[in-house]
Amino acid sequence: MTKVKKSNFLTQLMLILGIIGPGLVTANADNDAAGIATYASVGAMFGYRMLWGLFIITISLAVIQEMAARMGVVTGKGLSDLIRENFGVKMTLFAMVTLLIANLTTTIAEFAGIAASLEIFGIPKYISVPLFAFIVWMVITKGSYKKAEKFFLIISLVYLTYIFSGFMAKPNWNEVFKNTFVPSFSLKSDFVLIFIAMIGTTITPWMQFYLQSSVVDKGLDTKHLKYERIDVFLGAFVTDFVAFFIIVTTAATLHKHGILIDTAGDAARALEPLAGKYAAYLFAIGLFGASLLGAHILPLSTSYAITEAFGFENGLNKKFKDAPIFYGIILFFIVIGAGIILLPNVPLIKIMLIAQEINGILVPIILIYMLKLTNSKEVMGEYTNSKTFNIIAWATVIFIIILTLILLVMPFVL
Amino acid sequence: MVRVTSFYLSRILGNKIQNPSGANASLLDLIVDVSTIRPKVIAAKIKQSKDIKIVDFSLFEIYKEKGQYVLECSEFKEIDILNQDVIYLVKHIMDKQIVDMNGRKVVRVNDVRLALLSTGVFVIAVDIGMEGLLRRLGLAKPIKNILKPFKKSIQSKLILWDDVEPISSPRTDIKLSTSYVKLSTLHPSDLADIIEELDKKTQAQVFASLDDEKAADVLEELEVTAQINVLESLPIEKAADVLERMPADEVADILDDLKEEKAEELLNEMEKEASDEIKELMEYPENAVGSIMVTDFISFKTHFTVEQTIYELRKLKPEPDVIYYLYVTDNDDKLSGVVSLRDLVISEPETPLYEIMNREVISVMDTDNINSLVDIISKYSLLAVPVIDNDEKLVGVVIINDIVYELLKARKKIV
Repeated sequence: MTKVKKSNFLTQLMLILGIIGPGLVTANADNDAAGIATYASVGAMFGYRMLWGLFIITISLAVIQEMAARMGVVTGKGLSDLIRENFGVKMTLFAMVTLLIANLTTTIAEFAGIAASLEIFGIPKYISVPLFAFIVWMVITKGSYKKAEKFFLIISLVYLTYIFSGFMAKPNWNEVFKNTFVPSFSLKSDFVLIFIAMIGTTITPWMQFYLQSSVVDKGLDTKHLKYERIDVFLGAFVTDFVAFFIIVTTAATLHKHGILIDTAGDAARALEPLAGKYAAYLFAIGLFGASLLGAHILPLSTSYAITEAFGFENGLNKKFKDAPIFYGIILFFIVIGAGIILLPNVPLIKIMLIAQEINGILVPIILIYMLKLTNSKEVMGEYTNSKTFNIIAWATVIFIIILTLILLVMPFVL
Repeated sequence: MVRVTSFYLSRILGNKIQNPSGANASLLDLIVDVSTIRPKVIAAKIKQSKDIKIVDFSLFEIYKEKGQYVLECSEFKEIDILNQDVIYLVKHIMDKQIVDMNGRKVVRVNDVRLALLSTGVFVIAVDIGMEGLLRRLGLAKPIKNILKPFKKSIQSKLILWDDVEPISSPRTDIKLSTSYVKLSTLHPSDLADIIEELDKKTQAQVFASLDDEKAADVLEELEVTAQINVLESLPIEKAADVLERMPADEVADILDDLKEEKAEELLNEMEKEASDEIKELMEYPENAVGSIMVTDFISFKTHFTVEQTIYELRKLKPEPDVIYYLYVTDNDDKLSGVVSLRDLVISEPETPLYEIMNREVISVMDTDNINSLVDIISKYSLLAVPVIDNDEKLVGVVIINDIVYELLKARKKIV
């Protein structure tokens, strides 16, 4: 035991480093297989045109993640617990079905990512997918996923290479800046659809549940709120910084040559300015890490959310027969997620995009629950939402709903 | 009109309340007096037009008509329940977590079962089963009908109110006045398991309600994260009081996991004697025998007679697990032998210990690795091992229980 008092600055720094984590990890895990596919498609299909959208989504993301983190800090409870305790069984069922659909499609997308990345190395999906479905199940049930999580996260940091590739592809920076701040829009359904996918991959339903539980797990107190906010904002910025460069890179390389993304190999070509002929391998490594990370997080966090909401036995320290529903959901997710990918001729990239579209369409439902909760004095005490936060969050909700409506109406108008 | 004897809370919540004034009113919550043995519904929270009122429940009638529950109230008489020992069934029980005292675990309430007697309406049980969930969703009856031909039924699970311990939500500003009386009757390990299942705020709240003795026993059983959480949320004096009641080696373990400043603060708050002992233990590296040994062991001098020794034992009343072996030291506190309880009992009262003690004592050094301890214990089938320092002085004892715990901890880490 040292009796020496550490300098004020150092203690502050240690405190910040101790708290930072959940926000940054969650945000990074969000650049998963489907995320990469979506951002790459955005760039390849529409060039720089959607950058302004990403810029606005980043602000929404920061605000919404902050709400989840704050709820975790103030109440010490998970999001599904709060939904059950405050809205009753029927509304909880609705929220959980929403989460289940969104997360199941995302899990399928993660297995698509595993298949796509390993195909680049010449491993057919009929080997890779069953093998990794089994590995995911083992890692989760052996309770070692917390360690594995960090490992996969590090692999997926390969995506930072997009930043360098972005510069080396020599994009038209004037165009980039103009499109980042000046909105342009199209009512064509493929534009609207990919726009929803872009929102859906950045602000996902699962993230809110996952982030809040991570914050609760860390046992943070209201006095740490300031630092947790830094963590969350930094996380939102870092994720979308990478996303920004994926779009810029694919716009400067693929869109310029009119290449659309149908396979993972196409998306990899955007890295050619940096990595040359190794581009495909570099891309595959990152995609593999990101997919594997998601394939672990999604089944597990969905199962926790659902069992907590309905009061079923849960926890990785329990045996299968003591918590059958908990393990059942995990198993169901892995079997369906991997099973669909094993069907012959499934378009892997397309599946990842569809998953994000579904996420985008469903995310407003979860956001409305969150807005109700974060505005309730009973739940949050003095830590209810500020006016600015409410405006940004509600604007996001309404904007996505309008986009969804456009999508539904368009086929009849045209 | 059908008389009702018992019903579920979910069936009457939100129902319209018929009243002579014809006002548009509906039921929001029921308020139960928990100060008596039978929890009786004394008031109802109702919504009349836009106003929310707490009214006297004795003026209510409940009956069934065409399969629907009808609520009737002769007069909305507002009453004051501020100074009474009450629980709100919706606010504190429905959909919330409670402790099932029989199953000794935390469960979520799906519904509440009430009984209508001539003396009033009483809470009899809470429903935590699948049937309750489905009933709330309006699916219980149809699913039952589907299952009937297959002779299957939906699992229903009721817990009698006597076996229920409500836990108020951390943000509810009204403290439940029944301060976890039932919980404190549980075995410390069971209580620890329950506390671990609660959210951090409730953990701290439940823990703070325990008396120091119980709290110390429970703290010993908690997982590290929960230990840290409750210690950080308790007022420093209370935390120090609780720690003082625990074995020094356990405290040293816990403080090792706390933030340095917090640990120091706690040590300063504790009695000097206790904190000195803990500080000594904390200096040993994590894998050294010294870090897990017990320092409040008992030992006797070589010249003690059997009678003297037994007299001392009666005075000290040691715990069962430290009485298997009685260690004997010379005038320099050096370990010189061991006497078993059997040896004591069968010897003449005036025999000095050095005549009956076994001089071949198996011992370990305080700086030895914990792993060597396991080998020695299993090789010689011991229940406890004395620990000596560089000068051969007896400084502590390791009891087999602590080693089992160490082994389990090590195994958990690998998994």
